[in-house]
Amino acid sequence: MLESYEIDLVDRTEVLRYLGYMGQDVTPELDARLDEEIDHCIRTSRPQASLRVFDVESRSQREDGTHVVHLAGSPLELAGESMREHLDSAVKVGAFAVTIGMGVERELRRLSLTNHLDQLLFDAAATALVERAADAAEASLIARAHEFGLFTNYRFSPGYGDLPMETQPPLLRELGGERLGITLSPTLLMTPTKSVTAVVGMFEQRQSSTRASCAHCPCHDFCKIRPTGRTCRG
Amino acid sequence: MDSSKQTNARRHFGAYDERRLRIKDDHLARVLAGLDFLLFDGAMGTQLQERGLAAGELPELLCLTHPDEIVQIHQAYVDAGSEVVTANTFGASALKLGDAASVEDVFQAAIACARKSGARYVAADIGPTGTLLEPMGTLPFDEAYELFAQQVRAADAAGADLFIIETMADLAEAKAALLAAKENSDLPVFVTMTFAEDGRTFLGTTPEVAAATLSSAGADAVGINCSLGPKEVAPLVERMLPWASCPVMAQANAGLPRMENGATLFDVKPAEFCEAVAGMLDAGVTIVGGCCGTSPAYIAGLGDRLLGRTPSPREMRDDLAVASPQRLFSLPMGHVGVIGERINPTGKKKMREALVSGNYDAIMAEAIAQEKAGAQVLDVNAGLPEIDERATLLKLMADLQGISGLPLQVDSAVPETIEAAVRSYPGKPIINSTNGKRETMEAVIPLAAHYGCAIIGLTIDEKGIPSTAEGRLEIARKIVEQTDAYHIARHDVIIDCLAMAASTDQRAPREILDGIALVKRELPGVRCVLGVSNISFGLPFRPLVNATFLAGAFAAGLDLCIINPLQQRMSDVVNTWRVLSGEDESAQSYVAGYAGRSDKPSNRASDAPCRDPAAPDAAGSQSSPEGETDPVAKAKGLVIAGRKGPMPQVIADILAGHDALFAINEVLIPALDEVGLRFERGSFFLPQLMASAEAAKAGFDTIKAQASDAGAPSARKGRVAICTVKGDIHDIGKNIVKMLLENYGYDVVDLGRDVDPQDFCDAVVDQHIKVAGLSALMTATVPAMADTIELLHDQAPWCKVIVGGAVLNPEYAKMVGADYYAKDATETAKIAGEVFAADAQDA
Repeated sequence: MLESYEIDLVDRTEVLRYLGYMGQDVTPELDARLDEEIDHCIRTSRPQASLRVFDVESRSQREDGTHVVHLAGSPLELAGESMREHLDSAVKVGAFAVTIGMGVERELRRLSLTNHLDQLLFDAAATALVERAADAAEASLIARAHEFGLFTNYRFSPGYGDLPMETQPPLLRELGGERLGITLSPTLLMTPTKSVTAVVGMFEQRQSSTRASCAHCPCHDFCKIRPTGRTCRG
Repeated sequence: MDSSKQTNARRHFGAYDERRLRIKDDHLARVLAGLDFLLFDGAMGTQLQERGLAAGELPELLCLTHPDEIVQIHQAYVDAGSEVVTANTFGASALKLGDAASVEDVFQAAIACARKSGARYVAADIGPTGTLLEPMGTLPFDEAYELFAQQVRAADAAGADLFIIETMADLAEAKAALLAAKENSDLPVFVTMTFAEDGRTFLGTTPEVAAATLSSAGADAVGINCSLGPKEVAPLVERMLPWASCPVMAQANAGLPRMENGATLFDVKPAEFCEAVAGMLDAGVTIVGGCCGTSPAYIAGLGDRLLGRTPSPREMRDDLAVASPQRLFSLPMGHVGVIGERINPTGKKKMREALVSGNYDAIMAEAIAQEKAGAQVLDVNAGLPEIDERATLLKLMADLQGISGLPLQVDSAVPETIEAAVRSYPGKPIINSTNGKRETMEAVIPLAAHYGCAIIGLTIDEKGIPSTAEGRLEIARKIVEQTDAYHIARHDVIIDCLAMAASTDQRAPREILDGIALVKRELPGVRCVLGVSNISFGLPFRPLVNATFLAGAFAAGLDLCIINPLQQRMSDVVNTWRVLSGEDESAQSYVAGYAGRSDKPSNRASDAPCRDPAAPDAAGSQSSPEGETDPVAKAKGLVIAGRKGPMPQVIADILAGHDALFAINEVLIPALDEVGLRFERGSFFLPQLMASAEAAKAGFDTIKAQASDAGAPSARKGRVAICTVKGDIHDIGKNIVKMLLENYGYDVVDLGRDVDPQDFCDAVVDQHIKVAGLSALMTATVPAMADTIELLHDQAPWCKVIVGGAVLNPEYAKMVGADYYAKDATETAKIAGEVFAADAQDA
């Protein structure tokens, strides 16, 4: 399933966090420039995601002891300790690939050749923006889980824990990453670089990671369950 | 068979005449001439799913494992009326198949399946590699070409009738595949790209750009497939029609895909689909079929629509049209265009230095400034005896694509260099130039024909530049005879009547202007271009002479001028001429740009330094920090506050009473040290460090400009080579290091990102560089860092290596063999200082 998101706001404190901000005094000029680049990034971006939900087919162990989660109707294997824990007792697995588009990538390249401070600011804004788009994609998966009467944990991306980067090619293939314009380099880097892939576990039981209240949920702004008068907590 | 004999002059698509095509039969020949319709098939993937064949990782392998089912699918399309069936080879490249099967075996099996269906024609399908090409990605153009060439040879050997290169989003990749097909087979080649709803491919190419570029480069049909439903495809494919010098095709999806209960659904039903395609046929599309979600029912419906119809005539634009990957520049007869001349080292010290050092910042700024000043095409020349022109030109063109949407003009005297540059250029460039010398024409004109470029022809031959208008016409005629013979459209041929100095021969200007008028009259369709500045050679106040001459040339029929658009006088002539000629309708642009302008003489000298337009000055730049009056304290304050706006004036004040070394060593460097200290202490964060670096740079630039005016040598400390290693495309950290090193007086040779170890090592060896900085952001690219260091230690043992980047730490640095680890940019500057100091002591 392909989805597009309208994102017109990025959390400024989040952008500053990516820039390593620790409460320093900032000149009004630099402040204005940061706002300009955030705005510039939002205008340039085209957040789009591809999502799928798989049934967990089985769990096995390779000869070397690595745990593997197998998904129904898919050659994708989610291997390692991180996945064993993250998907322990999961009945389904949601997966998504999200990107804010090649326009942002081109702009990053242009700034890399023209103005390095603007590049740094724009890059931080783009990182915050793609995380925001990932929140939106995750919200869609939470809603899908809710339709099945299931609870989710949180998104987990290749390269974190011991989920190998080698998961990227089959994962993107299953998600139709090329439809989003996402391609991989031989070193398994995604282009556009401001893209995220992740898997989310879906469970019959409420998860400890489930938010106790909606107020601080990062997916709050994109939630599709609350408008129906319910929450993902049940 | 040479199909051109059967074509109707009304729609003569000449592009494929350059090579003799192997065309299966008379009907296909008429299709290629735009005289018959051609019906393709529909989707393969969704049909496989319907038959319960799990697509799995590589649906192409089904040709080997389930050939009967594949034949059945083809058969159903043939029964529905498909004239062409598309072999199941979309992803059959060595890159995607890996060890699963050989490219040759898959094509052999797939084409056999297609052939078995009894289809009139079998198209070999070639899809994208799935890896992004340079410069945005990492796959070199030549490697993509090789992957495609292997597919082309396999398909030809297996007995395909034509190629369909499809679902391309990257014009560079589409061009690589097209060239691979043309150069490894003589079968017809159709190319379709895929567009998003905003009317651009993922990489920003428009339908006009795709049509002009690919049809010029020899595609036998161009078009659109996949991604969108027929309603969305229709307006996009219609935008291709005026710019495609070949038939245009469309294979839409059955609407936009939608997921329901794990299945992909397409909502547009056959009747609706065919209705929308009928509109495309009315507009001039002549080759149709379906993509994802379509089935034999859709094709049968299309067949009904084609019954008893013949293609409608098509209006083609006769503009000169060239293109960057994102933008078409088209010039109708009667309009005038501006080609920016500044990216050329001839007589420009700054350009020379930039090209020799490999530090292209100044060149990029020049490109941006020219674009802002009204250039519509950028001339690019890297002809310096002391550098590798070919490599430099390629690198420059790749970088320019990153910062400007303008089409490029490849300016070189060496045919091999021209070929390398135009071959991989993702667009339709101008070649500058050929001339009337037989040898040059034989070397350069075929390149323009083969790669689909516009071409400039200089009116000079073995006997030199003729002094008369008639002599110029004769050479132009010679050139145009050749371009005609190669089927290069007249509107892609641009004659340069060559301006000569009025001071040495006062009859020259008249002859040049008459020459332009004669060429335009006697060789209908061709365009004229002129680099005007020679005319004023030897005269005072040259800009005035140039401008007057340019106005005269426009009146004589000049179409394009190669000028410095930053010279106000020249832009003034262009802008006013556009009013007088009617090009600027209702003088709208003129009024917008000139209302309120006074007639005071412009004080912009010919080489006025241009500001970096990408870097807006800080607001309120005239005030200084805290009302400080001592310029030294003021300058230090500005650096620390990171405010570059007032910097040039303050430094100029300092230089009024001190020398350059004082300004550097007593003002800027101490301020930068203070900034570095604050950064280390955490009272500054990274953007502040960089804003300070920018402010300091503004100061250094002022000092440099004054020093070069005075002819004084600049105080540089030494050269440092930096890059992000092979496989890694993160360059922010590297760029920060570069900024700071330059501030501290080092010449930085920036090799860029994703840099091959040997290329980096070669640069260090060639320029005998003493310090190298390597950056890596990912664990996966650390081995590439180790390889680079090993090469350096082996081939450049004098060079000390500093490493940094997110995945590095001191232990890791030691492990990869680095001499130093730097945790950030300030530390890199410090280490460089120590190394050069130690080096000076040794020496």
